[in-house]
Amino acid sequence: MTRTLRRVWKRFLGSLSGGRHESDLAEELDSHVRMLAEESIRRGVGPEDAWRRARLQFGSVELTKESYRDQRGLPVLDTTGQDLRYAFRGIRKNPGFATVTILSLAIGIGANTAIFSLVNSVLLQPLAYNDPQRVFAVRELVFNSRGQGSVTPINPVHAREWAKHCPSLEQVALMRSGSTNIVIGGDPASVPSADISHNLFALFGVEPILGRSFLAEEEQKGNDRVVILSESLWRSRFDADASVIGRSILVDGQNQQVVGIVPAPMRLPYHGATNVRFEIFRPLVLAPAELSRLMGNFNYAAVVRVTRGVTAEQALAEMNAVQARFPAQLGRKEALKVTLTSAHELFTGRARLGLWVLAASVGAVLLIVCINLANLLLARIASRSREAAIRTALGASRGRQFRQILTENLLLAVSSGALGILLANWIIRLLAGATTLDIPRLDEVHLDLSVLAFACCLTLLTALVFGALPAWRFTRTDPQEALRAGSHTATEGRRGLRFRECLISLEVGLSTALLIIAGLLAASVTRLLHVDKGFDVDHVLTVDVRLAGNLYADPVARGNFFDRLLPRVTAIPGVQAAGVVTYLPTLGQTWNDPIYLVGEPRERRHPVDNRYASPGYFRTMNIAVRQGRAFEESDRRQGVAVLSEKAAKLLWPENPNPVGLLFMGEDDKLKTLVGIVADVRADLHSDPPPTAYYPYWQRVPDEVALVVRTTVAPRTAAGALRATLRSEDAQLPIQAIRTMEEVVDRSIAQRRFQLTLMGVFAASALLVASLGIYGVISYSVARRRNEIGIRMALGSQRSQMLRLIIRQGMTPVVLGIGAGVAVGLLLGRAIRGLLFAVQPTDRLTIAAVTVVLLLVGGLACFIPARRATSTDAVAALRFE
Amino acid sequence: MSAKAEVWQGTLALMVLKTLNAMGPQHGYGIARRIEQTSEDLLSINHGTLYPVLLKLEQEGAIASEWGVSENNRRAKFYRITRAGQKQLASEADQWVQATKIVARFLALKGAKL
Repeated sequence: MTRTLRRVWKRFLGSLSGGRHESDLAEELDSHVRMLAEESIRRGVGPEDAWRRARLQFGSVELTKESYRDQRGLPVLDTTGQDLRYAFRGIRKNPGFATVTILSLAIGIGANTAIFSLVNSVLLQPLAYNDPQRVFAVRELVFNSRGQGSVTPINPVHAREWAKHCPSLEQVALMRSGSTNIVIGGDPASVPSADISHNLFALFGVEPILGRSFLAEEEQKGNDRVVILSESLWRSRFDADASVIGRSILVDGQNQQVVGIVPAPMRLPYHGATNVRFEIFRPLVLAPAELSRLMGNFNYAAVVRVTRGVTAEQALAEMNAVQARFPAQLGRKEALKVTLTSAHELFTGRARLGLWVLAASVGAVLLIVCINLANLLLARIASRSREAAIRTALGASRGRQFRQILTENLLLAVSSGALGILLANWIIRLLAGATTLDIPRLDEVHLDLSVLAFACCLTLLTALVFGALPAWRFTRTDPQEALRAGSHTATEGRRGLRFRECLISLEVGLSTALLIIAGLLAASVTRLLHVDKGFDVDHVLTVDVRLAGNLYADPVARGNFFDRLLPRVTAIPGVQAAGVVTYLPTLGQTWNDPIYLVGEPRERRHPVDNRYASPGYFRTMNIAVRQGRAFEESDRRQGVAVLSEKAAKLLWPENPNPVGLLFMGEDDKLKTLVGIVADVRADLHSDPPPTAYYPYWQRVPDEVALVVRTTVAPRTAAGALRATLRSEDAQLPIQAIRTMEEVVDRSIAQRRFQLTLMGVFAASALLVASLGIYGVISYSVARRRNEIGIRMALGSQRSQMLRLIIRQGMTPVVLGIGAGVAVGLLLGRAIRGLLFAVQPTDRLTIAAVTVVLLLVGGLACFIPARRATSTDAVAALRFE
Repeated sequence: MSAKAEVWQGTLALMVLKTLNAMGPQHGYGIARRIEQTSEDLLSINHGTLYPVLLKLEQEGAIASEWGVSENNRRAKFYRITRAGQKQLASEADQWVQATKIVARFLALKGAKL
């Protein structure tokens, strides 16, 4: 048995070593025959006779070699090796073709692999929760008497009632996200944090890797000096030291004891913050006041885990039944409901459509590349029909020839696949580093086994798509016919040409659809960039300031801080104006509180976006004051407010000049309207909400954005700004100082990313398709050279010939454009969610795409056509 | 067809092993000559048929080869038996003797009965 195995192994090695033994064998046999002959000569036989005898005695040298070779290697391997050698030779002979093929395929495979890895980890991989399909994020829906609903976060009382009265809910947990200042080894830092119910980790099925979760009693004031760290913070800041459990660290100026470490990355189904990796968790302590208001204080996020075997609809019905009691208890007419969003939907919902579009597009690009290669190969194979015929005539079987051509193509595909994987690895690293993209779990993207498997399958698939068809056609050549005809007149039949024209139509159609989508996205981004934001982004610098800890527990202390800070910042050279505001515009943050006229019934109360700002804020952001004035320092003695135009219209629809009137504003307090300002977009993608501004001293926030308008380039003031903040409080963690331009840019980063990729895909599709058109036309023109020569010798005009060739070339292009526009219209409707202020049927885009394709296609036809018709007739005929 | 006996591969391999075991390293020609001499020219082989057998034996590890210089100063490939080859020779020789004994007994028996 071992002997047989050994022999197979040796034969396998023999197959690999190839021609090296061949000369050895020849020499050995030769010396044997020579010895035979020499012996005869020694015995006195004449030399000629001796050689003859020697050969007779030895038998056929060639036959010996043949049977020796058969035994030396493994026949299957040998023919494959032969095919490979032949394929290598083919590539070496035609390096241009091989380079183009390998590069285009590598780019296609690489891009597809990278996008797949993105789709795989963002959309396909399950969340790191136990049984994630039973986890839902909850939002409350408040309907006013007119039936208009608005979505709000969660009131903690409601959440407690669900937990008590809904048997279909296994667990209910609350949380509130924010950021926390921690000091480790004298180094202050601000990290994303969440205050959570004690059962939150249990709800997710996440076990602490060290220590424990929170206890129920730790949600009581006084017992809450405990903290849980994420694994990533523990590793990066505490060197994964297990003794950190039980130690106290400084969190927001308070000593908190570390009780546990939870595995990273810890993501919470927190609306609007799904791509945040939370690093610090504290127990959620609810103040008695928060538990006393039945309608209001919608300030928390909630997650629920439904009981096994219960559907989301059942849970929803139970929760809505509980919800209906609250307005009824207060005798109010609003309706109160909840919505449930599955954790998976929440994590992928916003990114899903965009990613699928990208995946489909990149797939289409690869398909176009494959079609193009198939087309090129078909043309090459048509010109190799003589070779095929000779091989068939010499006895090569059809299967053997098919295998040989397929090996050639497989070799190309595998080289491209390897190169493509390298490329994908590079792209993935680039993507994972792109922190500005609001794609959840983006940082988890990496090249893993499933991605590699995908790349390998893709490689084989491409080889099959672009290689099998030409290989099949190659073997179908009729040897007699091909050999009888001269190499130049052995044209492929009408059917072959038709087929290749269909492929061109397909390529053009796909390119058209891709270009239309890219065009629609481009139009969206352009409109988004030029949309009236209500403020001026130029020359504005901004930095987040967070006042946390004991030092700033008192609002007066915080107020004093801002009172001191603002004049000092304004005094920095090059600074024109400075201000603070609770939420920067365009980031999508809002805080709703109603405004209403004194004595109005509840249903006439209007929820508006609340912002607290300093007097300088409007000047700094260049928000136009339409009527009245902005705040002033002299307003400190009375309650004042500034409303946006929309908000003022809500209260006084008829009155064109309401400045000076009174209304009920934040905290149900009486406010004097001192001015009306332009509407500002809270979120770049949606219309500006009605907004009420109050001076920061009326309720001093602990977290603001400081904005500074500079006369110089804004970046140059950053250093001085940092120094000023530090001199106020050396412990203050200062996050990135950014220009307003960067802030706005970040909010469209995802769109821009999508657009860039789509643009690249569409451009490559166009390029490849035009190369395809060019290739087919130049090939068919070259084949018809003598026909053209004859026609021109017979008096055809050059322009006439040109028109004939171009018309023939453009027919499939025009057909392709038509089909592509139809597909583009359908797809446009499907991606409506990605568009901004652009209709999927945008005529300008479609017209532009059509024109571009016609021009490119026309050019690709014109160049070879011109070349063909510019040779003179005699030369063309002599070419034969 | 000559009157000399034809030989089949299995036996040829055994003869090669035995020859190499008895004579020490030999080149292909030497082996072929020796087999012919030992059989007292009753056995004729096409010398070419020897080579596939040598290859097979070498692949199985029964013999090893290296290039050397022949007695009349010619480059030639020399084969020698390996330890595994000696074991193989011993066991195959036993089998062969056994087999011929059985066949011989049969033939003797038949003759007596007739």
